[in-house]
Amino acid sequence: MKQAIELIVNQQPYRLEIDTRMVLADFLRDRLRLTGTHVGCGTGSCGACTVILDGVTVKSCCILAADADGCAVTTIEGLSSDPRQLHPIQEAFVANHGLQCGFCTPGMVLSALQLLREQPDPDERAIRHAIAGNLCRCTGYQFIVKAIQAAALTLRNRR
Amino acid sequence: MIGREFQFFAPVELEQALQLLAELGENARPLAGGMTLVPLMTLGLAQPEAIVSLNHLKGLEEVRDGGDCLRIGAMTRHATVERDPLVRLHCPPLAQAAASVGDRQVRHRGTLGGSLAHADPAADYPPVMLVCGARMRLRGVAGERVVAAQDYFTGLFSTELQAGELLIEIEVPKIPPDHAHSYLRLQRVEGSFPIVNVAALLAPDLSLAHLALGGVGSTAVMVDVAPALAGVINNAALERAGEAAYAAAKDATDDMNGSAQYRRAMARLCAQRAIKQALASRP
Repeated sequence: MKQAIELIVNQQPYRLEIDTRMVLADFLRDRLRLTGTHVGCGTGSCGACTVILDGVTVKSCCILAADADGCAVTTIEGLSSDPRQLHPIQEAFVANHGLQCGFCTPGMVLSALQLLREQPDPDERAIRHAIAGNLCRCTGYQFIVKAIQAAALTLRNRR
Repeated sequence: MIGREFQFFAPVELEQALQLLAELGENARPLAGGMTLVPLMTLGLAQPEAIVSLNHLKGLEEVRDGGDCLRIGAMTRHATVERDPLVRLHCPPLAQAAASVGDRQVRHRGTLGGSLAHADPAADYPPVMLVCGARMRLRGVAGERVVAAQDYFTGLFSTELQAGELLIEIEVPKIPPDHAHSYLRLQRVEGSFPIVNVAALLAPDLSLAHLALGGVGSTAVMVDVAPALAGVINNAALERAGEAAYAAAKDATDDMNGSAQYRRAMARLCAQRAIKQALASRP
């Protein structure tokens, strides 16, 4: 079945006809070619498909694209308008070896963004709690935590 | 991409949603946050012919003060339940249960009503609903009815909800300020379903002492530990309360998280911990 949806992705409005069977992650990747949103498990466990929907992080593999009608979505591509100028959280991941294979990274970065918007100075426990829905198969959690701590410091110093 | 074709509807008025569900019949499924249903559809384990999304309905996503109870719209997201000032003030165990569901992303999207309609035997909410004496407001085209939590959960993934009916609101009586309460879960890792979870509610004189245990059978079970405690808290009384929990967990089954015997032993231990934790946080 076809369904017309209107939504805003990375501040860009779209109006498209989609297959109702499409989940939001597929829509972003296959229709908009925003392949920074990764699909790991496809069933809501791994968090690689995390995007920001109407201001909060969600798992885009568990939301029907048709249900995102009227919503605003931010993907990892929306974090920085210039590919040469990364977001401070992304810079911190690079500087602190917060990624190995990189598959979980888009989701990790967006979960970190959600956390740091709410809690500018989280302790390690709060950081681990905030990324509980994001799995890193390389098990590089120590450096991910370190990267988020470094990003928090940078963002606090900017204020 | 989901394999099987289905029709998709996103009504904005509750009456429209009920009408659609009535017309489409048993093969239509209401979709709340979708944290369970969408993955099941992706896996092909659920193959509805039509989806009626509740995500665009107005007025089902708020927490209101109903005098002696809280009135929580069924589409209220876990993250809202977790942080809502009224819930935190009048029913802290409910806020704790909400904070324990899944992970941050799941709590942003998943809903209180969706979880209660799905009725997973180890879900976070059912023990809290039971000890608090919550009431479920169910509505269909024919009208509305209110079902006590005790009668609402009827079995494994089964509730009183009939086809075409929606859980629209949860009425949670406010916990009296002098009552002790707790919610705790035994978990292997954060974000997993609990192996056993317990909610406790105790009057100051222990004349009311209710526990409810999840994960130990097809639905959460209520245990009245007032007779076991007999008005006192000491080691012998806690031992008796633990025995009552152990007995109530008689229908526990084996799964990958533990054997039935382990679950029953943990039910005993968690019941005792829940009582101690409740008393430690007593006002």
